[in-house]
Amino acid sequence: MQSHDDLEPTVRIRELKKDRVNFVLGNVDLAFANSLRRVMMADIPTVAIDMVEIEINTTVLPDEFIAHRLGMVPLMSSNCDEAIRNTRDCTCLAGCSFCSILLVLNVGCHDDTTMEVTSAHLDVIPYPEEGLETQDSGEELSKRGEYFGHPVGKNEPGVAPILICKIRKGQELKVKCVAKKGIAKEHAKWSPCSAVSFEYDPYNKLRHTKYWFETDERGEWPTSDNGKEEEPPRDDEPFDFNAKPNKFYFEVETDGSLGPQEVVMKDFSNFITTAGSSRTTDKIGQPHPRTQNTTRG
Amino acid sequence: MNAPNRYELYVLEDGEKPVEITEDTKIPNAATIKIVKQDHTLGNMLRAQLLSMPQILFAGYKVPHPLHPYFLIKIQTDGTITPQAILHQACTKLIGTMSSLETKFNREFSFKDVEGTGVGVGGMPTEDPYGGTGGAGGAWSGAGRDYLDF
Repeated sequence: MQSHDDLEPTVRIRELKKDRVNFVLGNVDLAFANSLRRVMMADIPTVAIDMVEIEINTTVLPDEFIAHRLGMVPLMSSNCDEAIRNTRDCTCLAGCSFCSILLVLNVGCHDDTTMEVTSAHLDVIPYPEEGLETQDSGEELSKRGEYFGHPVGKNEPGVAPILICKIRKGQELKVKCVAKKGIAKEHAKWSPCSAVSFEYDPYNKLRHTKYWFETDERGEWPTSDNGKEEEPPRDDEPFDFNAKPNKFYFEVETDGSLGPQEVVMKDFSNFITTAGSSRTTDKIGQPHPRTQNTTRG
Repeated sequence: MNAPNRYELYVLEDGEKPVEITEDTKIPNAATIKIVKQDHTLGNMLRAQLLSMPQILFAGYKVPHPLHPYFLIKIQTDGTITPQAILHQACTKLIGTMSSLETKFNREFSFKDVEGTGVGVGGMPTEDPYGGTGGAGGAWSGAGRDYLDF
């Protein structure tokens, strides 16, 4: 049915940088490529600040405003699967060192110049002693990297911190934050990707879209760089309505919480568990008893 | 106040079955399968995979309501195989594609292994999002006075 059905999928990485990867996927169908994109954007767990306890806020910004901005700060989340639990699966009551990370921010301005409160002022602090560690045999803590849960870029020179608020003399901001694991289906702050570009059919041979134009379609809609990967259509080429897209151009840009490699690889493991869970269950899943009756009746 | 937990969008409740099959009473070899706590990501992929299989007469999916975290997939086969079995096959095929792609990605990444992976982002501009280079703004006029001295 599909020409490329039996072919093995192919992949070619065109560029790999610290925060981005550009690759071309071939011999898969559109739905598959799109699912891959969706999984990378919304199904990969990271950690992000989820609860903020404001002790002092004499800045010009209201508490909610600051809490929201803190939530958006990307935190290092490498090996999130093993290094932290979901709070909902944890044995603790409201949060412990296995399922959350504490960060504090405590700044005041005492100079005559405007001071910037940035993500560099956020400090990870250890969980206050809890006697829980002894009874809980979690190995999560040993799986964490040195900077797990730290704001991205804080420990690297040359990376500008993220501005949270500006304060002037006499103003103060003191907050305690609890970072938790989550996925972007719950809130976009948990997405490891800041942008995913996805393109196929740069010449619009398949006519999946129609370009609106003033006078000259080609001049007003220049083809992207991905056009170099494919042969431009001849002007007299008849429209092949059976054609299917089979080359997909991706560029995945991360916010730094995970490396691009980790994002893509997690993608597959995640993908496999999703498809796997429905498969294993429908194997044993007999028709629902209630509906079986209806069938007979 | 009575908002459901946000994670209920993608976490199965206790004892909840992820898959529920309803056989069609009027159409032969057809079934509607409800897959809970999944969305277009799985639905569309599964539908496309099913359509590429020769035994399939019909496959379609819908998410009846965007706020209800489940989708329905309707399958009709030509009778050589049950809808359940073909869905199972489709899942196996998809997993196969994914694992083969995973190995390929792994290999490609190992060729391209540059400047460390995993932690950290580099090559970020040193200039802050507001165009400056960070640091504090200028002193206020009338420095020396407290800001509350009017």
